Amino acid sequence: MKITEKELNTIHACRYCPMCRHACPSEFINYKESDTPRGRAMLLYSVYKGGKPFEESTIDAIYNCFLCGACKSWCEGQEIGGYDIPELIKFARRDIVEQGLAPQSVANIRNALLAYDNTFGIDKSLSYTASIQEKQANILYLLGEGVNYKHPEIARAFTQVLDSCGEEYTLLKDEPTSGKELDLLGYREEAKDKAGRLLKRIRATGCMTVVVSDPLLYDALRNDYPAWGTSFEGEVLHVSEYLLRLLQSGALRLKPNPGKVTLADSEFLGRLNKIYEAPREVIASVPGVEVVEMQWHHEYMQSAGEAAFTFDDRVFDRGKDLGEKISIKAEEAQADMIVVLSATAKQHISATTTLNVLDIAEFAYQNIDKKG
Amino acid sequence: MKTAKTSYMFDMLLFELRDIVGKDYVSVRDSDREVYSVDYFWLPEMCHDRQGRSNITRPMADFIVHPADAEEVSKILRIANNYKIPVTAWGGGSGSQGGALPVFGGIILDTKRMDTIYKIDELSMTVEVGTGIIHEILEGELKQRGFSTMHDPGSARCATVGGFIAHRGTGVLSTKYGKIEDMIVNMEVVLPTGDIIHTLTVPKTACGPDLNQIFIGAEGTMGIVTKITLTIHRLPEKREFRAFIFKDLETGLRVGQRLVSENLQPAVIRLYSENETKEVIKKVLGIEKTGAYMVYGFDGNSEMVDLQLKYAYAIAMSEEGEDLGAELGAQWWENRYKFFFPPYMYRLPQLFGTLDTVASYSNIQNVYNAMKDVVEKQYPMARFIGHFSHWFPWGAMLYGRFIIDNPPEDPHEAIYLHNSIWNDALRAAMAAGGVLNEHHGIGLKLSRLTPELYGNAFQLLRNIKTTLDPNSIMNPGKLGFGV
Repeated sequence: MKITEKELNTIHACRYCPMCRHACPSEFINYKESDTPRGRAMLLYSVYKGGKPFEESTIDAIYNCFLCGACKSWCEGQEIGGYDIPELIKFARRDIVEQGLAPQSVANIRNALLAYDNTFGIDKSLSYTASIQEKQANILYLLGEGVNYKHPEIARAFTQVLDSCGEEYTLLKDEPTSGKELDLLGYREEAKDKAGRLLKRIRATGCMTVVVSDPLLYDALRNDYPAWGTSFEGEVLHVSEYLLRLLQSGALRLKPNPGKVTLADSEFLGRLNKIYEAPREVIASVPGVEVVEMQWHHEYMQSAGEAAFTFDDRVFDRGKDLGEKISIKAEEAQADMIVVLSATAKQHISATTTLNVLDIAEFAYQNIDKKG
Repeated sequence: MKTAKTSYMFDMLLFELRDIVGKDYVSVRDSDREVYSVDYFWLPEMCHDRQGRSNITRPMADFIVHPADAEEVSKILRIANNYKIPVTAWGGGSGSQGGALPVFGGIILDTKRMDTIYKIDELSMTVEVGTGIIHEILEGELKQRGFSTMHDPGSARCATVGGFIAHRGTGVLSTKYGKIEDMIVNMEVVLPTGDIIHTLTVPKTACGPDLNQIFIGAEGTMGIVTKITLTIHRLPEKREFRAFIFKDLETGLRVGQRLVSENLQPAVIRLYSENETKEVIKKVLGIEKTGAYMVYGFDGNSEMVDLQLKYAYAIAMSEEGEDLGAELGAQWWENRYKFFFPPYMYRLPQLFGTLDTVASYSNIQNVYNAMKDVVEKQYPMARFIGHFSHWFPWGAMLYGRFIIDNPPEDPHEAIYLHNSIWNDALRAAMAAGGVLNEHHGIGLKLSRLTPELYGNAFQLLRNIKTTLDPNSIMNPGKLGFGV
């Protein structure tokens, strides 16, 4: 692919600049220089300006990136442009795919997405949405693959909250993939095709409010689809935003439950969509709860590996390494509980701590004041 | 021993290294070899930049090894001695002198896995830490507990603590808190032969020479420092700055000297030459003034800081400084790292270098003038700027820089021009009472000039090196030592 001016500008700015390396989670897995933003920019300079072909170890370095955006958050030149390494990496992945050089592990995930609509290769009949019946409603709740296939307890909690508030909602039977994962792996055209299919299903429900659990799916609807010319006409809210709306309207009331709760911010909700306060306000709505911050939070959060689906237990076993770092910080903050915003974060963090780890929907359900 | 990748001896060595640190922690992959061939020195960056349009190449390591502790470092060095393979330590790779470059191939020993914080002693006010920790991460952990090393360099986010020790690093608060060598209590070192030693538990003894000093600033030529105990300080109750414009550099230097000699204990003094005020301060801070920009700052107990500021203000005004106020002083502090980020830093295709040196107050103005004259008169295509960052009881540090916007395209010509400027400017500085470097180190960049700086005393350094490293495996080609 011909490199764009924007990507070339990032390469030129970052190829010899190590100033964000301390924040890059992928570096601290194997401690390799090639697994840093600087290292990746250097390698891509050799490809796009040095005339070198993509070789295997360079491709590995490109796919080892978690796309978490920590480098961009820490880039001091933000007023100039906040050099966008994740976008550069996504560009390089598309090029690798176009050249037919995607690693077998990546191709396997793509094949699973095409065949099963999820990265895990799990049959649709085993998903949470396999057994639901669609109905007429104003609100459509979309789960995302992590909730739909791995953590259905999150969906159960949120739908029970909706039920208790008297909300009319529907789910999509056999909820299809958004295409986001395909795009992150470098398969944009196939991602767009999946996006079109999902949008068609969404429009068929007639719902003009879509509430989403999965940060990747949320980001796809809010940012990717408009960029691809396939915007959804209605409003898109994250579960935490909708919970806050229910609280503010008085439809949802939470009972006292004293304790210290910390929030693991979401890379895709926070850095890309600036959703930081809604989940905190939901947590703080429980009387007696003290929201305690971990050392790194808001835009300087530690990555939970939301886009590390290539790194889960089946491939590289790295998600837990990231989760453990967050667990340590939560314990240092003397939290009793960690609230997360994605199924992936729940999976990665809960595997490494004895603290209770709940998705924001589970947290709300656990604290519903049923008497109210 | 140089081993071709196709030779079975390569596999034999690879096996031995993997046996020590584990398979995941040895790399011979092309991407790693490429990335470890470029640090923050202009030369390898330029060669990397011009790949594909010139025939110049960069030396690369054969093996990149990531040991977890001193024991593993020891085993690696014993193997390197057995086979006479060069070993070059790599921390954050942010050194500007080429000190971490594997110029004769061999092993890159990446220290970053040795990043454990072992102990924070709140009574003795020390922290014991692995030298591979990225400084910003250490500072983050200390800050949570209300402490800091007060070592605050532009490279804090990318450099390791070991890297600072290797080249005698400094930070913006050095005028009060000292350079890294002033913060060291004791250290664990793996000698080139593989022996693991510990220096005395505390440094201010009368028990003979301070062995720490053999390894501080030695750039990995005398051994690998694997663990260090550093002093820490409580975060200050107050830290406040004030900025001024003085009519010229000479006046600014006089003010800086008075702030120090009148014992006001400033944490920061930074004075920019007239042309750096015009070029850099305008670009980064947006301040458009004629003259020499100075910012100073004090920290500590609030009432004491107020008093220090009062007396410092009186000195500045007595030298007819134009007061820019506390806000513009704080603006400098808040933007202190910005100077080192793209697009504010100098970068390719420019040819540039930081001619930092240090001299007594009696000589520092002459050193500045000598360097400036050489660069501007002998190299009309270059411009020279400078600021004074670190102030001692006896003298100050000059952060001189030369910049050429349109250097020769041919890399060999560019290198010749680069080296010529360095040689001429530093020889002029040495003749005026300066030295080769103050806090970036010698590395590959200035190795050739080191014997000239030391004179007869260089033989003593060489003897120490030969005794510690009989096979000359440790970072060859640096600090004036050959292969």
